[in-house]
Amino acid sequence: MSTDRATLDIPAAVLAFLFPGAGQMFRGQLYRGAMASVGVLGLFLGGLLIGGIDVVDSKEDKIWFFGQAIVGPIAFGTDALHQSQFKAWAQVPAATGRPGWDKRSGYPNETRTWIEPLPQGVKFDPKERPSENGFWTWRIPNDTSDASGPPNKKSIAKMNELGTLFATLAGMLNFIIILDALLPSKRGRDLTKDASPAAGIAAATIAATAGAEVSV
Amino acid sequence: MTTLAYTPFIDPIAAHDFWFVLLLPLAFFIAVGYKAVRTVDMRTYWRQVLTFTVQIVGGIILLGIGAYLIIAFAIPALAPMPGS
Repeated sequence: MSTDRATLDIPAAVLAFLFPGAGQMFRGQLYRGAMASVGVLGLFLGGLLIGGIDVVDSKEDKIWFFGQAIVGPIAFGTDALHQSQFKAWAQVPAATGRPGWDKRSGYPNETRTWIEPLPQGVKFDPKERPSENGFWTWRIPNDTSDASGPPNKKSIAKMNELGTLFATLAGMLNFIIILDALLPSKRGRDLTKDASPAAGIAAATIAATAGAEVSV
Repeated sequence: MTTLAYTPFIDPIAAHDFWFVLLLPLAFFIAVGYKAVRTVDMRTYWRQVLTFTVQIVGGIILLGIGAYLIIAFAIPALAPMPGS
């Protein structure tokens, strides 16, 4: 067993987490990294295209988000955008047994409405509002011409299931890609670092000329 | 009720009638990403991607056929429901 098999490439692994495929690109394997990136981002963006932004939700689909989070900052950014721009506070009905305020997506007849911060000297009542600061809440407009609806549609049934699956598989795939960046020699020595025929032939020629052992 | 305009990546698509076709891009992108790090000789990359895509799709079709046979024939034969 060669000594380089035990080498951990931590900078490449960190880069691979920050952006899919960046770890391989950092090591000079541009084509390999680019294709890894296409695979992960294709799945993640495919999930968003199928199920909408609703499929990435760290609050309402927490277990699925654990898998999606491995895509890296793109997943966290998408979730932050979802939580901040597409959800709003609403009172939880007392019948649920846990009355209070909760952030959720809007129903088709609701409109996202901004509530101003409490004026100075007015006492904060948690039953009346979730925060002393300004916040977004859901309102059903009296005038239907004023009803713009929620900023996104919630995905349901197969579209939600498939979109969530796509985005979560993107995270699972990126986990493999991060491991490959962390343990670069586990695949065996590359015959070619790039897929372009010229680079491949050149690398193979150099390896053959130098009499290097190529482990496959 | 308000009818909202469709916004890509924000709203879901309406593919409820042909959802199973989405298995193809699912398998393809998994193959593209996985083979990018598992292929030793990148000159054979696209051939391996195609092979792996077909293997995933074929495997899921076989699983579907297997599940159908169990549900439609094996279980009713082993544990018949009253009146069936």
